[in-house]
Amino acid sequence: MSGHPVNGLDDLVHQRVRLGILTIAHEARQVEFSYLRDTLELTAGNLSQHLGVLENAGLITIDKGYAGKRARTWITLTKAGDAALADEVARLKLLINSLEHSWTPPG
Amino acid sequence: MATDSAYSGDDPRRLLSGSRELIRRVRMAQRATWFPLLVFATVTFAAIPASQVGRGHFGTCVPTPPAGKVCTVYSYVGFSYWPIAFVLAYVAIAVFYIRRSRARGVGTRVGPYVIAGIILALTMTGAVLWSLYHPPGTAQALPTVPGLFPLAPGVRYSFAIGLALLVLAWAERNRALLFLTVGYLAVVLLPISFGWVNGHTRWTFVPQLATGGSVLLLGGIGFLLAQRPWRRAA
Repeated sequence: MSGHPVNGLDDLVHQRVRLGILTIAHEARQVEFSYLRDTLELTAGNLSQHLGVLENAGLITIDKGYAGKRARTWITLTKAGDAALADEVARLKLLINSLEHSWTPPG
Repeated sequence: MATDSAYSGDDPRRLLSGSRELIRRVRMAQRATWFPLLVFATVTFAAIPASQVGRGHFGTCVPTPPAGKVCTVYSYVGFSYWPIAFVLAYVAIAVFYIRRSRARGVGTRVGPYVIAGIILALTMTGAVLWSLYHPPGTAQALPTVPGLFPLAPGVRYSFAIGLALLVLAWAERNRALLFLTVGYLAVVLLPISFGWVNGHTRWTFVPQLATGGSVLLLGGIGFLLAQRPWRRAA
């Protein structure tokens, strides 16, 4: 992690919905599609798009199955996803820290 | 559809505070602290009549100089109650957490809790079996803490329940449960007598079981009201 923290931010993870998905998946180990949809207040289509981006980047895995007759989709964070989330949070904290120390009131 | 309520803005502060709020919500959805507390309270209260059932049987007797002997006395029901009840309680709690996790759509860290339960069940059952063949007051008897009641089977398992709750507090990252468990362990390990039990009789450990069970029951009711499982987590 070198240079200004903004330079190290990964747009893929920095996007607020995707960061939310990774945060929830990290905390829950495994999370169901409907929980993400309800908690992040997204439409199913919008959530699917974000999940597709994260899956293609290898940050999550998506497993589909059934609970009785009901179709269920479970999202699990990969090791790469875990590392990407930790990196993003560290950079956000650095960024806040540098903002607080460099900012001077106008006038 | 708006996403402002819990999670909005690309400002780093708002992103981090939004993440913290999401973590809080997930933890709230994962927690079901009331269930293990109520199950363990039931097991503890049921141990009181179970320890009084059946005639006393002599276990191993060890001669003690100059001309005496020390024997273990136990009842079959009282002796077998705790290992069976503890394992059944643990299985019920693990199954409950897994089913609830599936229903709510968020995983839980039940693995460490189950592993801790297996270790505790084996250790405590081993300790009780050891006591059967090595009576108190003999050289091979399990050590007791000076000033405390000797750890009878019921008290040992109450201690095991406390350890299981500590693991649960860690798995749930639940500070309130941690404080409750520390209080519970203090209650079950310190000598408590209401004055109507003297010496070592079948009733010796009833005050501790009753007080420990009451702490678990009240804690369970408190968490039940706080977590309100009948209301779907936000």
